[in-house]
Amino acid sequence: MKTTGLLVIAFSIFLTQGFAQNADSLLRTLDSGKADTKVDAVFKSTRVVLSHSTETQKKHDLDLRIRHHFGDIGGRFGNAHTLYGLDVASDLFIGLDYGVTDDFTVAVGRSKQDELFNFSGKYKLLKQKSDGAMPVNLTMFAQLGLVAREPFTDSEFATYSNRFSYFFQALISRKISSRLSLQAMPGLLMRKNTSESRDPENLFSIGFAGRMKLTKRLSFVADYTLVNGLSRPTDLSQAYYNPLGVGLEIETGGHIFSLNFMNSEYILENNFIPGTKKNWGDGGVRFGFTISRNFTLFKSKNKDPDKASKIY
Amino acid sequence: MIWAKNSIKILFCTSFMLIQLSASAQSYVGRNVKAAIFSSTPIEDIRAVSVNGTAAIISKTKEVVVQIPIKSLTFDRKLMQEHFNENYMESDKYPQAKFKGTIDQDIDFSKAGEYNVTVTGTLSIHGVDKVRTIPGKLTIGDGVLQIFTEFKVACVDHKIKIPKLVITKIAEVISVKVDGKLNLLK
Repeated sequence: MKTTGLLVIAFSIFLTQGFAQNADSLLRTLDSGKADTKVDAVFKSTRVVLSHSTETQKKHDLDLRIRHHFGDIGGRFGNAHTLYGLDVASDLFIGLDYGVTDDFTVAVGRSKQDELFNFSGKYKLLKQKSDGAMPVNLTMFAQLGLVAREPFTDSEFATYSNRFSYFFQALISRKISSRLSLQAMPGLLMRKNTSESRDPENLFSIGFAGRMKLTKRLSFVADYTLVNGLSRPTDLSQAYYNPLGVGLEIETGGHIFSLNFMNSEYILENNFIPGTKKNWGDGGVRFGFTISRNFTLFKSKNKDPDKASKIY
Repeated sequence: MIWAKNSIKILFCTSFMLIQLSASAQSYVGRNVKAAIFSSTPIEDIRAVSVNGTAAIISKTKEVVVQIPIKSLTFDRKLMQEHFNENYMESDKYPQAKFKGTIDQDIDFSKAGEYNVTVTGTLSIHGVDKVRTIPGKLTIGDGVLQIFTEFKVACVDHKIKIPKLVITKIAEVISVKVDGKLNLLK
């Protein structure tokens, strides 16, 4: 009988503790499983240096992007005679990227090289989760290139379809830490306009890219694309090199400025993957910059006054 | 005789348990607490809102806790939202904004009505704790509490740095509004 009494007392003490909750522990019972685990801002921009990143435009955001690649810093075409390449514009690019949804971006642009027009689509398929449910981001990218320039020879664009090139890429990235993000991207470029018969029309490539945040708004970025020696012989009569770019990326609100150094003369994948003829070793490196400005469209569609922002 | 002693013991314990149970029934909790922030400068007004806040009030101890997940604050410009989380709030490191305090006034929670109260406690935002006395309104209904408060938070108090380049666009003092309904926990 005595043990029963003791048990009852023990039970009541247990109950007391069970119910003597403070507000903190009460709150914890509400919070279970509600945390947002999506990993944001794997890269600050939709481009790393030369290559795309897994990022897409936000819904209804229009990005105006102006890019410039100067001439060789050293070597035969560089040095003081061209002010270390600054006299030369090896490629220029103006483009618009628009976010149809948060995951789907369409883009149009035009490059100086080959008077290349490009139309592209980019779709974010998988998104990294911080709870480990999804370890990587996966974005699919497709780009159509149209060479608009006059043919150099009568036979160059024998049929109009020879002016087109098609580029497909799967971008896989992971934000390792809040500072470091890494990316790998296998790709395939299909084209007709090759320089020699041994140069294959279909070029496989695999790229690697990374971002290291130095401060909250300043990052070191780099990318490298392996293409020569993969499906393309390395002993073509014209020597081609693998594009390597490094740069600093500065973000201020809706602007991103990138200051880059790269061996590739050209800006778009459809040009720089098959056409990089300069290399870092003999002064073929050049300076380049990107200016990106984001505009949010359809702000009037937002009817929620609690979210309304306004620029006077 | 022994039998009587034991029944008294059991009776005592049972009544003790009942008292405890009734005391615990004085907790109020709320999900979907609305929190809005507002930054105003002559150049730009910025607003964001979350409806994912949680709150708890214990009437016996007059304890109040309100918590807002930073990532749940939504802006009409998603890029701005990303910058808010990445560059200002560092919400991966400091995922919650939280206020925990006690009501300074004596409130009879059994009496319906509207009470103007102040709550003194710790406001923690961006990993920085600050002791604050925040005024608010408490409306007591039948098993329901309505809370409302409006107060200001200085970014510098919580080590939220605003770069010089955007100082004209982001206010140094942000207005915060919290509005929520709490139900009696059964």
